This record gives sequence, C-alpha cells and structure tokens, in this order.
Amino acid sequence: MGQALFWFQGEDMKNIKPKQVKTLLKALEKEDYDKASEMLDAIVAKRNESLIEGVEEIAQNLHDTLENFGQDSQLLQDTKHGLPDATERLEYVMQTTEDASNKTLNAAENMIGLLESIESQTSDEKIAAYLKQAHAEMTEIMTAQSFQDLTGQVLNRVIMLVTSLEASLKDLIERSGLSLEAIPEPAQSDAERKAQQERGMGPNVTRDGKKDTVGSQDDVDAMLDDLGI
Amino acid sequence: MQIDRNMNILVVDDFSTMRRIVKNLLKELGFSKFDEADDGATAWPMIQSGKYDFIVSDWNMPEMTGIDLLRHVRADEKLKGTPFLLITAEAKRAQILEAAEAGVDGYIVKPFTAATLNGKIEKIFERVAERKKAAGG
Repeated sequence: MGQALFWFQGEDMKNIKPKQVKTLLKALEKEDYDKASEMLDAIVAKRNESLIEGVEEIAQNLHDTLENFGQDSQLLQDTKHGLPDATERLEYVMQTTEDASNKTLNAAENMIGLLESIESQTSDEKIAAYLKQAHAEMTEIMTAQSFQDLTGQVLNRVIMLVTSLEASLKDLIERSGLSLEAIPEPAQSDAERKAQQERGMGPNVTRDGKKDTVGSQDDVDAMLDDLGI
Repeated sequence: MQIDRNMNILVVDDFSTMRRIVKNLLKELGFSKFDEADDGATAWPMIQSGKYDFIVSDWNMPEMTGIDLLRHVRADEKLKGTPFLLITAEAKRAQILEAAEAGVDGYIVKPFTAATLNGKIEKIFERVAERKKAAGG
C-alpha cells in the first residue's frame, strides 16, 4: 500500500459514474464551464474520499502498532531515554578528548619553551643534539593531538545522526496519537541497580548517571576519612 | 617515612594505556618492579603466588571486577594484608562505601594526577607501617 495513493487506483474507477463523465463532456462541448467544473469536482471528490480513507488507515495502523508495543516497549524507551543518553555519552567523549588534547598541547608547548631556553644557553654540541631530538619528540606529541580533529568530526556526524533519528521517532510517536510524556522513566529495581554498581558502570556521564556520585577526589577522601581509611 | 621502592607491584586494568600511565607514574615515584594483568581473573592466580607487596587495580573489568578481586585477596588468610588501591571511574557514593567495606586501602577516581597517586601511596604505607608497629613487628 502507499505508492499509488495519489493516483486513481482500479477500485477508485468503480466509484466514477459514467453518467457523471458524460455530463462533464456534454458541458464542455456546450462551453458550460460552471457545469463542467461542478462535474469535475464531483468526480475528484470520489478520488479524495478514497485517499482520505487510505491515510486514515495508515494512521490507524501506525497507532495500533505503536500501541501494541506498550508504553514501556524498548522502542519507546529508547526514543525517550536511550537516544538522548547516547548523545550525552558521545558529547562526553568529545569533551574529554578535547580537554586531554588541550592539556597535552599546553604541556608540549611549555616543554618546547623550556627546551628553547636551554638551547639558547648551551654551547655544548652533544647537549644541543639531545635538545634537538627532544624538540622533535615534543613536536611528535603535538602533531599526534590532531587525532582530536578527526575523531571529533566523526563523532559530530554520529551525534547529528542520533539527534535526527530521535526527532523522527518522537514525531512518529506523537503523530500516532501516543504521548511521549506518558512513556515512563526507565524502571530499575534496587537489586538491578546494586548489581550494576557491583559490575561497575564506567564514567557517570549522563545527568541521570551523575546522581549520587562524588564530585571530586576531595569528596572521596572526605568519605574515606570519615570511615578511618 | 621510608617506603620500600623495590617492592613488587601488580597493576590491573583492562586498558593497556591506563596500565602504561600508572606504571610510568609509579616509575616517576621511584618504583621499579611491576607486573601487569588485564583482568581480575588473570590477576588472581598471579596474586596467589604471594609475590606482590602492593596491588593497584581498576574496578570495571570484563571477567572479574576489581572489587571482587579485592574480596578474594581479603578472604585469603595469607594475602589479606596486601595493600590494595583502587583507581577507577566508578564514582557512586554507594560504590565507594562498598569498597571501604570490602577493605580497600585507597580509592582514586579517574581522571587523576600524579600528586594524588603519590599522596595515596604514602598514606597507605604509613598505615601499613603503623599496623606492623601495633602488631609488634
């Protein structure tokens, strides 16, 4: 279904009364354009009727399909929670690699400055050769940071794709008459949460993941200090 | 306080870059004898040999977690006194409490600095020395 919706289909033709067409032709011959226009509208109305029926059917199917998933289905859950989470995680990767690159670049630049200071103050050829090599190694460290540009571009594309997929799915859900707001928060029992924490959950990246975490090493130290560790 | 820089250290992390970083930092602090393991499951038989004076471990690893490895060590009569430092991205308060209950000696949250590592190691071995003194050793 679908591709022929905007054209007359075989079944639609049955709705067209030969009498209406004859009347249309006669009106045209007589140059009675009011009458001709009226007849044409009547014929087209038949076509629109089946078109509307078709669209209604599609909408109903979509609604039923999504309804069958239930409010807590994986697709609805992923659309409301999983995809925004994925975006936050990717943004975390972007930010973390960028920060690390900048730190490395700063350190390399400072180091090159130090090497140049020593270079300008030594007349020893052997030391000068070592300094030159050290300088080349620092340049290597700096240029290696260009990975951030490449991986950043790739991540940006994936983030755009995920964001657009999320928007399309949300639109689809709303159009089918379901409410995004009615989709419940992800349910995790205490036991499940404990088991996950036991396994380890990696960096707490998302807003949700940051709940009940320590903000810094100082917080950890304070906690352990209280426990006598 | 004097820390024996010749002690045998086991570095456990599933990421080789992280093992490299930890090893390099420990080297800068004057330590020289390390072995590596990429999981709690590979670390445990190594530890059972009794070779190690200090264990530095990640938490989140595929086969056996660091917290599980810690519990194995603490449950073993011969090994239970081995100083154990967790270096991990796990930052939930409940997890830190759990590690404390399991008997961790130090807990460092990633990303961390060389100064933090140094501080923790000093604190850990200060306490080890105190414990030995208290035990009359």
